[in-house]
Amino acid sequence: MADVTVVGQGIFLRGSIRGEGDVEIRGRIEGDIEVGGEVTIADGALVKADVTARRIVVRGAVAGNLTGEDGVRLEQGARVVGDLRGATIGVAEGALVRGTVQTGNAPAERGRARTAAAREAKPAARAAEPRKPVPAPAAAAKGNGLPRRPAAIAQEERTGPPPPVVPALKKGARAALRKRSR
Amino acid sequence: MANTVIAQGITIEGELTSEEDVVIQGTLRGKLVSKDTVNVESGAIVEADIAASSLSVGGHITGNVTASDRVDLMPGGRLIGDVKASRLTIADGASFKGNVDMDV
Amino acid sequence: MARASSSTSHGGSAILGKGAHIRGRIAGEGDLRVEGGISGDVALKGDLFVSDGGEVTADIEAKSVVVEGTIEGDIAATDTVSIRASARVSGAIKGSSVSIEEGAAVQGSIDADFELPPELTGKAGR
Repeated sequence: MADVTVVGQGIFLRGSIRGEGDVEIRGRIEGDIEVGGEVTIADGALVKADVTARRIVVRGAVAGNLTGEDGVRLEQGARVVGDLRGATIGVAEGALVRGTVQTGNAPAERGRARTAAAREAKPAARAAEPRKPVPAPAAAAKGNGLPRRPAAIAQEERTGPPPPVVPALKKGARAALRKRSR
Repeated sequence: MANTVIAQGITIEGELTSEEDVVIQGTLRGKLVSKDTVNVESGAIVEADIAASSLSVGGHITGNVTASDRVDLMPGGRLIGDVKASRLTIADGASFKGNVDMDV
Repeated sequence: MARASSSTSHGGSAILGKGAHIRGRIAGEGDLRVEGGISGDVALKGDLFVSDGGEVTADIEAKSVVVEGTIEGDIAATDTVSIRASARVSGAIKGSSVSIEEGAAVQGSIDADFELPPELTGKAGR
């Protein structure tokens, strides 16, 4: 009895794949993939779908967002147009990506982590936190350890609901703009 | 050994088109068209019309099935739907409810 | 201690040591190794290396970029960008090839020039 679901090279699925277990895709999928295990997109696979899994490894072509709770790895030969989210993200030399990249906790946990971080760091500013749009660079307030100037952060959070784009990230303005225009 | 296996625990919903053998151990809802064989194993749940060269039913299928070659209902297998195939076997212990058209 | 190369047209190698911080625009023909800190703008014809502990808050133009420390700013490399496991990078990243080691903290975007196979383009238009 197989543990791994294999969508062979000669398959075209228009629909969704959901459930528990690992999935290896060698064929073509248009739709949606959300599984609890590891998703491997093999060389030659064509995936037009958002993929959400515990871990994602890509060697094929993907048009869609990849969210891997434990991590996302793009190996040589991977071609991805979409956003990458994962605890860790690896992009090998020879892998091509066009999209946003965000390491740290998975989105579902990020909300909780953000609220938790706000609760311990700035109790007075907690009211401001939940109003921040989820994918905004402002989400960097959580424990990702990314560069922020503490004085600037304290300043923003004391003056009420922050703007969607974090002023402290002025040097990365292009990234924010690109994110918004997606 | 099949190239495509839908393992237990996985649910596929939609239209599945295959050039190769398909083994289903999990759940499929929608439609399956295979140029080759389809094997619905014990424990599998299929709510879909299936077209294949040949089909083996060890699990549960609700849907109409068409096979260019044969359909075999194994013991424990269950098919609720119409069958269109030139050859059909229904084993002792299999359940079947539907119409059969063997004039293919 | 900052030691800058004296040469001009061929550019040598400059090192910004730990504990040294530059605020302003840094432009050069050669390579730059940052162990300290930079706030401003960096425009190099050569390669940029940011060591673990180095902190660059600047938009960067360079030939290749290798980062083991922190970069906050957009990166535009004509050659490769390598983000090592100890790096923290936030900004838009562009290079002939961009690689990220697992373990790096990255927030931003990667922009590479390539086309997806035709089966994945068109219709929903990405």
